[in-house]
Amino acid sequence: MAEILALDDVQDATVLIGKILTKKGHNVHSFTEEDEAIAYAKANKVDLAILDIKLKKMSGIEVLELLKASTPEMRAIMLTGYPTVETAREAISLGADEYCVKPIDRNELEEKVEKVLKGKDKKSSINV
Amino acid sequence: MEQINELKFLKVFQKVTKLISMVLDHQQVMDTIVRELPGLLDIDAATIRLLDPSTNTFVMGAAHGLSMEYLSRTNIDTAETMALINSGYPVAKTDVDQDTNFSDQALVSQEGIKSVLTLPILFQDSVIGILRLLTRHNRTFTSEEISFSMALAEQVGIAISTGRMFTEMGNQIDFMKEVQEISTLVNSTLDLNSVLNIIVERLPRSMGCQACTIRLLRPETNHLELAASHGISEEYLQRGEVEREKNITLALSGEPVSIYDVSRDERVMYKDNMKKEGIKSLLAVPLKVKGEVIGIIRILSDSHHCFTSSEINFAVTIAEIGGTAIQNARTYQKITLLFNQVEESERFVANILNCIRPQLLVVDKDLHLVLANRVFLAAMDKEENELLGADYHSLWQDQACPAKTCPVEQVLATGQTASHEHQLIKNDGPHWVERTASPMLNDGGEIEYVIEVIRDITAKRQLEQEHLERVKLQGVVELAGTVAHEINSPLFAALGTAQLLEEEMESDELKKDVQTIIRNLKTIGELTRKMTTMTGFESRDYVGETKIVAFTSNKES
Repeated sequence: MAEILALDDVQDATVLIGKILTKKGHNVHSFTEEDEAIAYAKANKVDLAILDIKLKKMSGIEVLELLKASTPEMRAIMLTGYPTVETAREAISLGADEYCVKPIDRNELEEKVEKVLKGKDKKSSINV
Repeated sequence: MEQINELKFLKVFQKVTKLISMVLDHQQVMDTIVRELPGLLDIDAATIRLLDPSTNTFVMGAAHGLSMEYLSRTNIDTAETMALINSGYPVAKTDVDQDTNFSDQALVSQEGIKSVLTLPILFQDSVIGILRLLTRHNRTFTSEEISFSMALAEQVGIAISTGRMFTEMGNQIDFMKEVQEISTLVNSTLDLNSVLNIIVERLPRSMGCQACTIRLLRPETNHLELAASHGISEEYLQRGEVEREKNITLALSGEPVSIYDVSRDERVMYKDNMKKEGIKSLLAVPLKVKGEVIGIIRILSDSHHCFTSSEINFAVTIAEIGGTAIQNARTYQKITLLFNQVEESERFVANILNCIRPQLLVVDKDLHLVLANRVFLAAMDKEENELLGADYHSLWQDQACPAKTCPVEQVLATGQTASHEHQLIKNDGPHWVERTASPMLNDGGEIEYVIEVIRDITAKRQLEQEHLERVKLQGVVELAGTVAHEINSPLFAALGTAQLLEEEMESDELKKDVQTIIRNLKTIGELTRKMTTMTGFESRDYVGETKIVAFTSNKES
């Protein structure tokens, strides 16, 4: 069981992530506001952050950078409806474990989360 | 006794008259008289001096029976004697070697002169010279002898004047011929050096003199500079500055200056140089153009020469002709220089026009081509002489832009610069050209010519077109990105929720309905993925199973 933080500007998306991953036995904390998500992560243990790249005030990349700064061991999966080379490269360089393109299939999401959480204790082999 | 004397006088008079009538040259008259008088009058020596009106002094005309040393003395006689002579009175003296009042008395004693009869040579009541009869024994001239000698001197005066007049007339005719010849010669050339050389060679020859120099005032500095010389040594020419010499300053003020004896004249500065060069007399005349002095001519004589008025007039006339010819040659030099400068400027401008990349042409207000650069000629595949003068519109044939948009026509109609772009069909395909026409105005502000610059802007047009297409594409890409993002997030929520719903449903019928929803949502997902790919994005493996886009970069998602 992992503590998972989900941040997306579309509330339905965060609810969905919560439902899917709760069924898998994880504790999911869903946010649509960046400030609230960051504050939560600083105050609580977070094993995995699922971040949308396009948010309301900040970008998911910026949120990732802040979260990684306070909790380096935290895992991260980036979600985007519009993938670009820059965001992919930045996300990976900041320690993101996956970069997924919406609409992601439920099974695919579950597999990615499982895979990332399994590799938590291993050192990341991702090189950019 | 008186009758005997009168008879003797008559015979002498007859002989002198006969001698005078036989010769016409006044120099020969003087030489004959001084040579014959001692024998006729029982005297030892005789001299004739002529008045030099320019200095109001008497200069030696002829002498017989006297040494050069005596003849070269400074003063002819005492001031008292000279005053009487100048007043037209004869003066007879005896024991002149004892006269302590005379400054050159020693020379008189050395020559052994005892008695002198000095007579004014009169012509029309004016003293034109002096006749002196000298003896080396004391002789008292009687009043009859003095009266006779006065009459003789008057006869000599008439003879000298007649001879002079005759010589002058002859000279004037010669001078007229010379003026004509020199005038023809100097006007036959516009080369300044040739003009100067003709004058310095011909002028002294015409006047029986040795040499001639021309000095011209340099307009920039107003200083005299030697321009030409003839018959004179380089050493003499290099003797030094001459501008302060009085004869030069006088000539520069516009008056001719004649000097009989340069060795004694205060108007001459370089006496030693002149002596060494053998110059005895000189005549300096101003070179004038329309009353303005532009230089001086100096004619130098190697024998004592009293320049007559006709000689001076001749020199002045030649100086005037020469002045005009010199001025013409100088003007020609300036014109030639200006012409060369204009030619050089034209070449320079032509080179610039030929080196610029655009085609350039100039037409007059009647639309005739007056100038075209090399690029234009090459574009037309014509030689310059084939196109100059051609009608502007005929140059373009069927490729001309319409007259209403023709920039040249617009400039002629409005007076304002005009520009027009249009397409030309060439062998290698269509070309876009930009034609800009500008007016060239005359002093009155009217259009005299129109300059047209034609630039091939095909490459520029292509770049603009490519840029436009890129901008359009960018818009499409951005729109597709926005659409993809805005659809994908809710699609993700809808698809995931539907999948959860399907799992929880028990009714097969309802499950089939939800599966239909899921299938269609996935179709929409495929569509948005294709939209992304279509706009230049293409997914590829990045790390592990991670997919990233390739090719085009876009900042935000």
